[in-house]
Amino acid sequence: MPADTSTSTTDRAAGVIHDLGYRRYDGPRLGRAQITRALAWHSFRSAFGFGRGPKAKIVPAIAFIALCLPAVINAFSMSQGNPRLVGYDTYQPALRDLVMTIFVAVQAPELVSRDLRSRVLPLYFAPPIKTGDYPAAKYLAFTAACAVMIETPVLLLYLGTIVNVHGGAAVWAQTKELIPGLLVGLMWSVVLAAISLFLASLTGRRGFATGAVAIFFLATYTLAEILLQVENHAVRQQAAQAIQNSGPGPVHFVPPPPAMAEKVSGLFSPFTLFDGVRMWIGGSGTAIGDNVMNPGGFGAVYLLVLVAALAACLAGLFTRYRKARLS
Amino acid sequence: MRAPETLGAMIPSPPPGAGDAAVIETTALSKVYPGGPGGGVTALDGLTVRFAPGITGLIGANGAGKSTLIKILLGLLVPTQGMAKVLGHDCVKDGERIRQIVGYMPEHDCLLGDVSATEFVTHMGRMSGLPATAARERAAEALRHVGLHEERYRLIGTYSTGMKQRVKLAQALVGDPRLLLLDEPTNGLDPAGRNAMLELIAKIGEEFGISIVVASHLLGEIERICDHLVAIEAGRLLRADTMDSFTKASQTLVVEVEDGLARLEDELARRGLMPRAYQRSLLVPIGGDDTYDAVRDSVADLGLPLSRLERRRHQVEELFRDAGSADADMNLEAADAG
Repeated sequence: MPADTSTSTTDRAAGVIHDLGYRRYDGPRLGRAQITRALAWHSFRSAFGFGRGPKAKIVPAIAFIALCLPAVINAFSMSQGNPRLVGYDTYQPALRDLVMTIFVAVQAPELVSRDLRSRVLPLYFAPPIKTGDYPAAKYLAFTAACAVMIETPVLLLYLGTIVNVHGGAAVWAQTKELIPGLLVGLMWSVVLAAISLFLASLTGRRGFATGAVAIFFLATYTLAEILLQVENHAVRQQAAQAIQNSGPGPVHFVPPPPAMAEKVSGLFSPFTLFDGVRMWIGGSGTAIGDNVMNPGGFGAVYLLVLVAALAACLAGLFTRYRKARLS
Repeated sequence: MRAPETLGAMIPSPPPGAGDAAVIETTALSKVYPGGPGGGVTALDGLTVRFAPGITGLIGANGAGKSTLIKILLGLLVPTQGMAKVLGHDCVKDGERIRQIVGYMPEHDCLLGDVSATEFVTHMGRMSGLPATAARERAAEALRHVGLHEERYRLIGTYSTGMKQRVKLAQALVGDPRLLLLDEPTNGLDPAGRNAMLELIAKIGEEFGISIVVASHLLGEIERICDHLVAIEAGRLLRADTMDSFTKASQTLVVEVEDGLARLEDELARRGLMPRAYQRSLLVPIGGDDTYDAVRDSVADLGLPLSRLERRRHQVEELFRDAGSADADMNLEAADAG
């Protein structure tokens, strides 16, 4: 179509804009629920940097790959004939703690602080949605994003495992172990999203928001771990004492059940709370010693604290947007 | 079918704001912001006004209550007292419905820097209730209407202030509103950008058939695109009228010559105009088109070097004064000093 080409070239050169006139929109209009869903989907995408520049995708991509690595290594190892290395419910605790802290610290501000900073909120509340719809959409979206980060590696782990086991019974056994693992991941997502969005929504400065979220998770985790270390130290001393006191021959030392102080130390960090609740509901003990001990019946308190923290953060988030409405 | 024409000729033009169904109607609307030792700030104080269809300028000094009024109309703020209706819907009860048919361009910056204009306007279209495909199509159209067709895939952060204002306008337009509320749309623009923005607003009002409320503190700027004016001061109504009746009473021509000001003043007075010397220029009340001719002829006859000839820009304070005095004889010195 040589004629068309020449026309458009001339138009561009002359800077002519073809005015097709204004067209009315007579199509259907979506209601509040559908708009909220659209907002949630948009926020979910933005949690991974989609719809934005390449720079925005760096952190989510690296975090995702890092979380998937153990599953990949496990699949490889099992193909060499080794048993499964990684637990479905614990996954790699240290890695997951760290990477998820980074993920929520960097991405939660993406969802909420940006809108505060750029003062785009009045535009959200000018459309036909209610103020509560905004935080609800953001929370749903970020919970889903965290779940993708946590559950995908677990599912990969499962896939990598079942291709290496043989027989329906073996696959079923793996599946039975997988389901609690997925539920634990869901618990992580629901709580991490609430805490990090609430903290991030307190400031429009993305840097401050990231700092606040990161410091909260790292500081509480460090606090809980230090308290645990103090307790562990006491146990180790008892063990050393037992070795000294015993004569030659095997040492008879039964580590005492976790003391109350130790159980309480686990209440100070979301990550130790996750672990405590996980073990309380029957999950496997951690192989790596730097997490909380099995709290036994005290696990109910862990769950209570976790639910209270979740409720407080959600209440804070929704209250925040009732106030931010006028900004 | 000549009846309509006959009727139109017989019936005098309707009183301002009373002809068609009002686009906006407020009754004794008050808003008091709580807090402060003095018992809060009164932003609106018993405002009763009607906005007719077309382009209406909402004029007031900074802090007069313009933004507060707009936010109440959008249902973003709840009035302390009184009632407001937009397109027949109650602002407090039918907030959701109103927001579907009203586009809002805030005064402040409201754009994300790290997304493209297309992405942003599409998202805002979704938020106004458009399905995904319609939102994409209308976003492209809205950006074309505001003149950002070529640049629409660039990140907003790389835009100039003028382009950002256009994106703000596009996002207000994307949901096919019946009414646009524009809060200081020319904020931060240079003179060329202001003109372009005003032309755009006039085009939207006239060609697209969308009623528009333009809030501004600069009357001179928006007077040429408005059909009606509503002036408010300290939350109260100063005056609501058609543009014509505003300008008829207060049009003034500023004439400046390099020298021979006194001779020109005499000449203009001889021709029956009433020039008044003000600083280094003459202010001539405009009676009609022949005023321009008379000034032109006088300057030409005297062979004076003309350096400035323009219609004087009004300030909001003048409206305040006009509202009080029926003969509309302006206190020029005071007004211009302001």
